[in-house]
Amino acid sequence: MRSRHAAAGVALLAGGVVAVAAFAHHSARARTAGRADGFVAQAIHLPPPQKPAFTVGRPQLLSRNETRARFAPVIRAVAARAAPGPASGIVASLALRTPEQTTNIVLVIGERARPDGLWVHVRLPVLPNSLTGWVRRGALGGYRFLHTHLVVDRARLAATLYRNGQNVFSAPIGIGGPESPTPAGEFYIRDRLSGFGDPFYGPVAFGTSARSAVLTDWPGGGFIGIHGTNEPALIPGRISHGCVRLRNRDILKLARLMPVGTPVTIQ
Amino acid sequence: MNDQESHSAELQPTLAEIDCDGALRETAADAFPLTRGELFRQSATAAAAGALGYFGAAWEDADAAAAKTANDIAILRFDQVLEFLQSGLYTEAERLGALKPETLAWARVVGAHERAHLRAIERLLGPKKVKNPGFNYGSVTADESAFIKTAVAFEDLTAALLKWQAPRLDSRAILAAAVSLHSVETRHAAWIRHLVGLQPATSAFDKPAPQHKMAQLIDSTHFLVSQPKTTARKKPPYTG
Repeated sequence: MRSRHAAAGVALLAGGVVAVAAFAHHSARARTAGRADGFVAQAIHLPPPQKPAFTVGRPQLLSRNETRARFAPVIRAVAARAAPGPASGIVASLALRTPEQTTNIVLVIGERARPDGLWVHVRLPVLPNSLTGWVRRGALGGYRFLHTHLVVDRARLAATLYRNGQNVFSAPIGIGGPESPTPAGEFYIRDRLSGFGDPFYGPVAFGTSARSAVLTDWPGGGFIGIHGTNEPALIPGRISHGCVRLRNRDILKLARLMPVGTPVTIQ
Repeated sequence: MNDQESHSAELQPTLAEIDCDGALRETAADAFPLTRGELFRQSATAAAAGALGYFGAAWEDADAAAAKTANDIAILRFDQVLEFLQSGLYTEAERLGALKPETLAWARVVGAHERAHLRAIERLLGPKKVKNPGFNYGSVTADESAFIKTAVAFEDLTAALLKWQAPRLDSRAILAAAVSLHSVETRHAAWIRHLVGLQPATSAFDKPAPQHKMAQLIDSTHFLVSQPKTTARKKPPYTG
């Protein structure tokens, strides 16, 4: 009997503990909920966010398919060598300026890291045409990247400009006759001249790294240009001293599309 | 697959990897007034967001008419030059392709961000924008060690610079925009640090760095040069 009373007492006590605990838990939840409601209410009454003065648009990754030619200005007069390294033979000298007094630039076609520093493989504006050489990276300034490539087709008498591999310009041309042919090879655009007021060259003339193998004593070194003309009726034809001539409306259009430094293939 | 789609595919896994149960996307959907479909269609951007918390494209167009004081313009022009410098560095590194694959991957994404920052600042500055100065990164973009050191320094200091500039801006609208750049720059800094085994977060509180410190850093690199002169008004000496 006594043990039954004791068991009942224990059960009653346990029930009371559970009831108190449940009440305490409920009260705590109610208090927490009240605080949470307060936080929400405070947040709702905050002023609206400031509209930003600018937003940054969608980032554009570089296309994997872009054409990546590059050129660099010569910032130290330097000897170009046949191979990377100071012991290699000199193939040409690079000056700071072109004969037209623009910055001398070179087309970069490769690099090699060596213990004595980085060497850069460049296309040279010298005879024999298409010659390349190596210079220290420090002799050149910052790289400029291009996505254009001009192809001069001597058989078809046409010039075509590609941008990232797409044909964006094509026009008939005049090229050198048998006495002074336009040289074939890999070259680049060195500079652009305008405002010179000589109708023979048209309104715009591009200088290239190609040189006439015949007119070597020509003033300025016999560089091949790409320019307009005062005799459009002769185009297309083999009518020049080696330069590539375009009708004036075509050279003006080309001037809008083709940056200095563009690689040029004459085939 | 077109170019844009391949970009999306390239960036997309990043979000999926860290957002296994879709909680991030749900949060983003709550935070920005987009349908789920719109949000997922924007996953190219959201993917960058996965790595970098970037949800900028979901915002409205920029308010280019925000009031601009001489002080704010000076700060923005400085930042524009900095964006030219950084985007040029990373873009050149990617184009040369001479660094380690993981470093190139970082340069590819961060370069795209810096170019986007540059365009946004240019739009805001309008006619007061700075013309692209010339840069010569020398061998830094082809030398792993030199590139990493430069990138860590630039990203760390850019984040610190924006902290210094923020309280000096007159316009709250420009401040709001600058804050959105700041967090991305800190992520860039943490990412490149992590990549090379440096501690991404070194202290509980970051200190601002004054603008002249950044100017000194830029000066010390000798990256800023004049552009080559490649045009002239002169009679051609060509063979004709």
